[in-house]
Amino acid sequence: MSSLSVLIKKECAEDILSSRSIYFFLFASGLMSIFAVLLITNRELSLLDNAQAVYKMTTIVLALASLVTILQGSDGFAGERDRETLEILFLSPLSRKGLAFAKLGRILFSWLVLFALSIPYLWAVGSTGQNLWPSIYILFITGTLLVLALGGIALIVSARTATLKSALFISVIVFLILGSPAVLGASLRQTGIGKMIDLVDPFMDALNTIDSVVIDSQGFDFQVLRLGIMALYALIVLWFLNVASRRIRL
Amino acid sequence: MIKGILSNPILVMTVILFSSCTVFAKGTSPIQVILQRPVGTLRMGDTPKFTGIVTNSGQHTKERLIVYLSLVSLEPGNEHPVDLEDWSAQKALRIDSLLPGQVNTHDWGMRLIQSGKYGVALTVVNPREKKPVVSDLVPFDVQRKPMLSVSRIFPVALGEPVALLMLFGLILVAQRKGKL
Repeated sequence: MSSLSVLIKKECAEDILSSRSIYFFLFASGLMSIFAVLLITNRELSLLDNAQAVYKMTTIVLALASLVTILQGSDGFAGERDRETLEILFLSPLSRKGLAFAKLGRILFSWLVLFALSIPYLWAVGSTGQNLWPSIYILFITGTLLVLALGGIALIVSARTATLKSALFISVIVFLILGSPAVLGASLRQTGIGKMIDLVDPFMDALNTIDSVVIDSQGFDFQVLRLGIMALYALIVLWFLNVASRRIRL
Repeated sequence: MIKGILSNPILVMTVILFSSCTVFAKGTSPIQVILQRPVGTLRMGDTPKFTGIVTNSGQHTKERLIVYLSLVSLEPGNEHPVDLEDWSAQKALRIDSLLPGQVNTHDWGMRLIQSGKYGVALTVVNPREKKPVVSDLVPFDVQRKPMLSVSRIFPVALGEPVALLMLFGLILVAQRKGKL
């Protein structure tokens, strides 16, 4: 077994077995449960169509995935540096590039666990309506691309900053900037600038793609541009991660 | 002669009728628009098609007509326009040309996402005329239908966190015993 796969396996095992991750997954499941119960007990929410309920649930999943990605990515190198374990990690036979991609593998694994946890909820709120299966596969595609992009950015920041606090601060700001257009109303986002921001922002691309597939029942050909932009972001970030990983400081 | 005409009531009535028809014709567009609602009860989640019929009853070809749908909520005390995007409805249609006597029929589909009283109308805008032509408002009721299944949501909402708690509890116990 190669050193890379050993490290990825170790990181994934840590992800499942560490108390921090256990609390996060419990929190994620609890949050989805609260929202699911609200859907049937709150009068306004109970009037929602299945597709809209599924869309809102996928939005929660994407927000949670972004949050855990930012936290894990920031912790990737800066956390090891704070705990003074980075030097030991560098003594492993893996190259620094390999280390960076093993950390990214852990982030992807967390996303897959979160995605798996969300499937029963999506089924519960969406199985009596339309577009359940398209919503699951489009959540997987957009979520994976978003996690690759955000995780890569957080790891790059983590590699270049001295402390975990600084890495977290910068990564959270990046996340808030990317997520801020979602707070704007639909009418503001219909303007020329709003449409452009919607298109270049990977987080908004993910939300709009899910909206288009789940609520508007639009086909894959409608999603090519947005998915292409997200894939481009992921590729650019991976390239930068590759470059940044060569210059990780102790 | 005028005295002769006025003494004939039938002739007077005919003249009045003809004059009023001429005046009415001057103020009426040769474009007619009718919107028909689908037959039967409409329920949340249904995707009915409203049929729009645009007729050119004039003598000249009408070009570049814009036809658009408007949806309003007619709930007493909560009347408001409804965003058609949420209802997955086609918003507008362009008719490049409509020959004299030609009829354009188009089905306007929408997904009914909320119960209540609604009205829908079709408007035709001719860029060369000042006044758009609007169909009669077609009222319709959307019956409420429970979209979310309580019997599916509760077991998942309660079951998954409990199952996770049990699983993670087992992991923690195994860790303390040194098995993991």
